[in-house]
Amino acid sequence: MKGLRTVILVLLKEKKDIVLSIICGFIAGITAVGLFSSSGYLISQAALAPPIYTLMVLVAVVKLLGIISALSRYGERYFSHRGTFTMLGNLRVSFYEKLEPLAPAIFQKYRSGDLLSRIVGDVETLQNYFLRVFYPPIVIVLVFLVTIFFTTFISIQTALILVLGLLLTTFVVPALFGYRQRKVDRKVRQRRGKLSTDVTEFLYGFRDLKIYQQVHDKEKDLLQSSNHYVEEQERESIHNLFSESVNTFISLLVSVTVLAVGAYLVTVGQLDGIFLALLVMISLTVFENTTAMAAYPSHLQDSRQAVARLDTVVNEEEPLQQNQTETMEQGIAPSIEFKNVHFSFPGETGDTLKNISLNLPAGSKTAIVGPSGSGKSTIMQLLLKIYPVGNGDIYFNNQSFLQATQESVWENANVVLQSNHFFYGTIRENLELAKDGLRDEEMKEILRNVELGHFDLDDQVLEKGENLSGGEKQRLAIARVLARKAPLWLLDEPTSSIDVLTESKLYERLFEVAKDDTVILISHRLTGLEKMDQIIVMEKGTIIESGTYEELMNQKGYFQQMKEIEKSVFLGE
Amino acid sequence: MNKLKEMTMEQKNKLVLLIILAIISGFAIIGQGYLFVMIIDRIFLKDHSFSEITPLLVGLVAVLLTRTFFTFWSGRTGIKMASIVKGKLRQSLLNKFSNSPRQASMHGQSGQKVSVMMDTVDEIDSYYSSYLPQVIQSSVIPIMLLIVIFMEHWATGVIILVTAPFIPIFMMVIGFKTKDKSEEQFDKMAAFSGTFLDTLQGLTTLKLFGRSEQQRDKIRKSSLDFRDATMEVLKIAFSNSLALEFISMLSIGLVALEVAVRMIIFQDITFYTGFLMLILAPEFYTKLKDLGSAFHTGRTSMGAAKKLENELSEQEQAVEWGEASIPTNQPPSIELAGAGFSYESNGFAIENISTVIRPYEQVAIIGKTGAGKSTLLNMIAGLVSLKEGEMRINGEKRERISEKSWFDSLSYISQDPYLFSGTIADNIAIGSIEETTREEIIKAAEKAGLNKLIDTLEKGYDTPIGEAGRGISGGEKQRIAIARAFLKRPSIILFDEPTTGLDLQTEQILQSSIKELGENSTVITVAHRLYTVKNADKILLLDNGELRATGTHTDLLESDEMYRNMVHTQQGGKAE
Ligand SMILES: Nc1ncnc2c1ncn2[C@@H]1O[C@H](COP(=O)(O)OP(=O)(O)O)[C@@H](O)[C@H]1O
Ligand SMILES: Nc1ncnc2c1ncn2[C@@H]1O[C@H](COP(=O)(O)OP(=O)(O)O)[C@@H](O)[C@H]1O
Ligand SMILES: [Mg+2]
Ligand SMILES: [Mg+2]
Repeated sequence: MKGLRTVILVLLKEKKDIVLSIICGFIAGITAVGLFSSSGYLISQAALAPPIYTLMVLVAVVKLLGIISALSRYGERYFSHRGTFTMLGNLRVSFYEKLEPLAPAIFQKYRSGDLLSRIVGDVETLQNYFLRVFYPPIVIVLVFLVTIFFTTFISIQTALILVLGLLLTTFVVPALFGYRQRKVDRKVRQRRGKLSTDVTEFLYGFRDLKIYQQVHDKEKDLLQSSNHYVEEQERESIHNLFSESVNTFISLLVSVTVLAVGAYLVTVGQLDGIFLALLVMISLTVFENTTAMAAYPSHLQDSRQAVARLDTVVNEEEPLQQNQTETMEQGIAPSIEFKNVHFSFPGETGDTLKNISLNLPAGSKTAIVGPSGSGKSTIMQLLLKIYPVGNGDIYFNNQSFLQATQESVWENANVVLQSNHFFYGTIRENLELAKDGLRDEEMKEILRNVELGHFDLDDQVLEKGENLSGGEKQRLAIARVLARKAPLWLLDEPTSSIDVLTESKLYERLFEVAKDDTVILISHRLTGLEKMDQIIVMEKGTIIESGTYEELMNQKGYFQQMKEIEKSVFLGE
Repeated sequence: MNKLKEMTMEQKNKLVLLIILAIISGFAIIGQGYLFVMIIDRIFLKDHSFSEITPLLVGLVAVLLTRTFFTFWSGRTGIKMASIVKGKLRQSLLNKFSNSPRQASMHGQSGQKVSVMMDTVDEIDSYYSSYLPQVIQSSVIPIMLLIVIFMEHWATGVIILVTAPFIPIFMMVIGFKTKDKSEEQFDKMAAFSGTFLDTLQGLTTLKLFGRSEQQRDKIRKSSLDFRDATMEVLKIAFSNSLALEFISMLSIGLVALEVAVRMIIFQDITFYTGFLMLILAPEFYTKLKDLGSAFHTGRTSMGAAKKLENELSEQEQAVEWGEASIPTNQPPSIELAGAGFSYESNGFAIENISTVIRPYEQVAIIGKTGAGKSTLLNMIAGLVSLKEGEMRINGEKRERISEKSWFDSLSYISQDPYLFSGTIADNIAIGSIEETTREEIIKAAEKAGLNKLIDTLEKGYDTPIGEAGRGISGGEKQRIAIARAFLKRPSIILFDEPTTGLDLQTEQILQSSIKELGENSTVITVAHRLYTVKNADKILLLDNGELRATGTHTDLLESDEMYRNMVHTQQGGKAE
């Protein structure tokens, strides 16, 4: 079964449930056949007025078979569903596990609504894989084989017809429908993915859509996506229903044939008439389960697609950190050195960073300034190993960065990104991310330190921190790292939405806490940089100036010019 | 559930069709039974020749064809009904989402809403595609069968009459339990989607904080929770089937025993009648058993319907609008009179804002972080309804202005603009509802200082950005949002910290474009950088939700200490 390796591997972990389902399914099927055939035999016997004990035995057999059949049917359902849903759970987790190392680059390929639809919808589809594709054919074939074997003792001809019927209903008809369907592209999964993606974006971008009056247009688009999806579902359901109906009809025809041939054999004296009812009952019962086989190719195809959709996401790229095994020295403020680092984003032609060389002693405070898009945040991303360095290398405490694991870098760093994510929940939950075992008093203290003393730890935080003001989000992000107490600080414009009064208070506290640590601060503001040990000025991916505040001012280069502009914009009369 | 009934009633024709189809199927089932029995009886006991039964065989094939065909038709009708209902439900959900005001739209997790829109609606399908046709078949066909059975052999009829009522009673008892459980199941499913989407968005953050393993456990747990919820529902369904199976088996056994005893001991019924009973009685119970499993699916759908109904009935007060339009030749005056607004969740309130913003005025809103600047801008933009006081546009109450004409004349660059997944050009074009040419887009991008960047891109304006697109820097994102305003050329522009994350040089480029915009429009800017504030005609200084001072730079410098302080710090001095 090519293309289904992923599910099969996960599925095989539930061996016990698989085996139990097959056993129970077989018992249920074969006892049902026995039940109905013996009741057909019973009635025929009765017509001939046999001794009463024959009858009693037959009745007892019928009862017993009935009870066994019902119980095993229950068992089959229970085990197969339990196995299936455990498998689905495992699949979700394994998908997440594979997805996680690919972030954040993966988001430049897939939209979140799309990923959501894959992990929810596509995984959900795979329940049909086990329930309708994987084990039922095994059960059906087993039941048939035993039934046919039994029938040969009564009538070889009937047994042959049953074999023919089995081939027709479980192989030929499904194959024909499968073939017919392969020609028309199956789009349910894609349509579902599109709708889910569009709805997600509609919700995320709702405010901007509202402001630009695009809500109704988008709504129309969505409605159309929804209708396409529903149409496709309808087409597929009707197709499945049709093939099932055809299969039902064929299996009934087989039973009629059994009846006709049997009747003929009786009239020519080759079969005892007493078996006629029994044979018809066998045929009617044994074919009851084959009806579902008509939808087999459809489910198989569906599962294949679902697995393929899951696999394409996670198999495309190898995660970066192969053979990165070394851990970085923990707990001490690192010195950082860039040696001729070049970098370009995956898929980009030009270099985003060109020949960057830096030397930041342990415990130093460095500011990076420069125009928007000059590569400041990119330097941060490299320092965090979010992307691998193209050329050159970075050293922490003279230890090369190349072989270090991402985790060991992150563990040592206090990071405030340019835009920070907050999870749906409470302030407490969002702070607790930073560190285990924070006490409430500690958290409150930290909140006061970032001027968020008016927040309660149980205050709600909406998705993406939507109910916080821009400055509050930034302060909460700072609070998170204050709680963490790692010796390397990487701050990417952490106060861009905060007013100057609050900002200067924050910096004062922050630098107090970080006085022995290595700090890199990306800033677009030039005020307050006097105390930094080093200021690095970037432009178009290169370092154009670096030095202390005084040095740069004396150099009369870019920095000094900017400083002049700042003054003139503000003071220029 | 009412919703489902209501939507079913809207398709009465199809309902009637289903009933007719069921009756025809009923006849086919009875005919099939008779023909099977007749053929066997004639061959087995009456010694007919094969040619004599040939017509019967042909008849049997015809009856079977009828039976399958009408079953197919009935299923198909159900599927069609389901499609219509699903379409309508999604439409009303969408409608609800798009008409909710800004704050309401943020409640809950987006992933949950997506799940309601996708999974919960899909779950309704089986109500129509399997439950409804089955209910109709199971109420029509057993009655027909019973009539025939009574006519042929009343004793069997009596046995059935005594045992059959247990089945529906049983089903009902169990079915009610299922419904609550399945509602729970949908909640779990939605919760899973919610968590997952939120996790995706914050994956980088989680990784940086070393939390991705914990998150994996969380995902495993919510996935297992979902499995357990599902199994709970299924277990009920399975034991339901088991019980039904036992009841029907017991009854069929009784029927068989009675028939056999009558045939052997009393010899007062024939093989023909006895066999017919043995064929028809199981058909009777099968229909009821089918109802049992359909009942379960139906209940699950009803659980889904209940969830949808809850979702739809959460009525939010939409922002009120009227009919009056505003002249387009010049910006309207905007007047706030004692305007106030508060968030219900945390009680933050903007109170008693009174000010007049005249056409072409350049207004700056300043204040400490969290003072309510963005909230005030939302109020002015008409994204939320005022809780007190009023807002007047050209002297007319805001509620009487038409929504379209208001938003037509307004651009609002919010603090955290959203980039849609699409090309750079698409993202700029969203600023205007009219068709825009490439030239216009390029011009807008130039004004926003984006042209240099775009020139370096291989695909230029057709570079995909947003989700599943190229990453861009914070300042670039900001400028794309600003380009939207340049494209639209509205008469009122609201900027929420437009130059956050922009360096001075870029900002200077922008300032001159913004100035140009200001020649034709009223510009209201939230700014924390004082140099953008200095040239404003009017500064609104907010402090903790209140309007602390209004005036020009010189006025405030003189009269307000907080303002002086801010200026001082900005100039490089230290805050007191
Ligand atoms: N994920 C990405 N893929 C491709 N290009 C990117 C990506 N992220 C940023 N860039 C580009 O790299 C350049 C530097 O970006 P960045 O470092 O974020 O700038 P800034 O100095 O403003 O922080 C910009 O031109 C930006 O468009
Ligand atoms: N959607 C919301 N729900 C509840 N509270 C909110 C919401 N948006 C903002 N707030 C709160 O209102 C206050 C003012 O926020 P805002 O107007 O964004 O401030 P700023 O002046 O920084 O722009 C803050 O305390 C913030 O937490
Ligand atoms: Mg940046
Ligand atoms: Mg704000």
